[in-house]
Amino acid sequence: MLESLITWVNAWLGEDVGAKLAYITNGKHLLWYASVRFTLIAAFGSAAFAVFFGLIGAALKQATFTPFRWIGNFYTTIVRGVPDLLFILFFPLAFEQTVEYFIARVKCGADVVAAATTWPPCPEAQWLLSTGDYLFMACLSLGIVYGAFAANVIHGAMQAVSKGQLEAASAYGFSRRQVFWQFKVRQMWVYALPGLSNVWILLIKATSFLSLLQIADIVTWAGRLGGANYFPRMGLIHPDWRWKYYLVLFIFFILLTMISERFFEVLQTRASRGMSLAGVKSDV
Amino acid sequence: MFDSLMQTAFMQDVVILAKPALFNLYFALVSIPVGFPLAILFAVGKGSGNKLISIFSRGFIYAFRGSPLFIQFFMFYSIMLALNKPLWKPLGVDDFILHPLFLGPLVLVLNTCAYSAEIFYGALKSTPKGEVEAAQAMGMSPFNVFRKVTWPNMLRLAWPAYTNEMVFLFHATAIVYFTLPVINEQKDLMNKAGELFEKDYNLFLHFTVAGLYFLTISMVLFWLAGLVQKRLNRHITGAKPLSFRLFPRSRSSQ
Repeated sequence: MLESLITWVNAWLGEDVGAKLAYITNGKHLLWYASVRFTLIAAFGSAAFAVFFGLIGAALKQATFTPFRWIGNFYTTIVRGVPDLLFILFFPLAFEQTVEYFIARVKCGADVVAAATTWPPCPEAQWLLSTGDYLFMACLSLGIVYGAFAANVIHGAMQAVSKGQLEAASAYGFSRRQVFWQFKVRQMWVYALPGLSNVWILLIKATSFLSLLQIADIVTWAGRLGGANYFPRMGLIHPDWRWKYYLVLFIFFILLTMISERFFEVLQTRASRGMSLAGVKSDV
Repeated sequence: MFDSLMQTAFMQDVVILAKPALFNLYFALVSIPVGFPLAILFAVGKGSGNKLISIFSRGFIYAFRGSPLFIQFFMFYSIMLALNKPLWKPLGVDDFILHPLFLGPLVLVLNTCAYSAEIFYGALKSTPKGEVEAAQAMGMSPFNVFRKVTWPNMLRLAWPAYTNEMVFLFHATAIVYFTLPVINEQKDLMNKAGELFEKDYNLFLHFTVAGLYFLTISMVLFWLAGLVQKRLNRHITGAKPLSFRLFPRSRSSQ
């Protein structure tokens, strides 16, 4: 079956094109295509975390208890004042070290931990993370960073929810918590959509950092496949082709952005059916 | 008292990371002044009546805003490497072109140019039509209309968003040395913090100090931009001061 396919392609498009097709579908290239899954998992996973942290951040920013408000504002300000890259590298390492510290307390003893000059204090406390663990950490840290952006968006969207709706709800005897979660939060989504769309696009672009967290993602593979390929027995197979592979990634991310924009446009039209949004500032 | 303060690990990190911080500042301070006029050109180009110029500007802006800066760095570095043998070596400029201190700002300029052009384009579109028509009715030449009416309005409207863009560009300089080669001791904040971390694994200390450097310089940038904002709005009574907030088309490094 596969043999006849190859002969058919060669006959139809010529040997040259056939060889090129064979090259870009070899095992390593298939692994490259498959590694797109890490990018997508990280994007969707961190989007879920970002919405979660965004909701908490927005709730804190408008809490009546002042220290909560401080925490909310501190969270959104700090994350915006420091590069996302720093957080993306910091959180997984910080989590790993914290876990290792507790393992060390149990396995090495408190005096060894106190006297230790290197990390981990004793070899038994080493916690080796798998790709899945790193992926989860990446989702969490991207979620925390972009959650701060989402918190700003959601906070703004909540201000846009009509006061009359909330007053009506409390007049019907709903408690403060119910008014917040069941009326404010339910109604703010349509106002938050344009802003959340921007956060999502930022997030997709940030997934390119996965390679810095020991994950063999599309960026790592592009570097591996593109590098000059030389075997002592076969000579130079190809020179440095990395620019071709990075160009493909460049286009891949542009397409991803394009698809996301279309999707959010459709979602926006659907979500705003029957709502009069004229005069509402959606660009929070 | 002062000596014992300087002996603390925290203050020692502050001293060690002062020079790396200059590298981040260098990348930002070279890219911003070059990117600014280019961005205005692209913004005018995007709104231009000429189809070819408009499509080119739109394509450029979309491509560089739609892809991660991380990939843009890798792409440009590898393209420059591929051009080394046929172009840079024969011309004798290979050392210069492939140097991170040149290539870093080059990519940052292209990136900030696209983001700023989008900001300025939005501002151009919201320039009050009445003012432009009034200027035309007064018999001003198109160049004069731009210089006296469109330009000051555009700058005033775009400034808050442009301030955010400048700060994000400064943050984006953290990526440079993750993609380009590090030459000797030419290291930026992230690089040096990473190096210190590998020595004693004191993650919280080194990354906090590096983060504080970024935070402080960002605050200074916001403050400086606020002064400019005040000046741009000096004819408007009761103008609101610039606040530290998220803008819709803001971005991060990537």
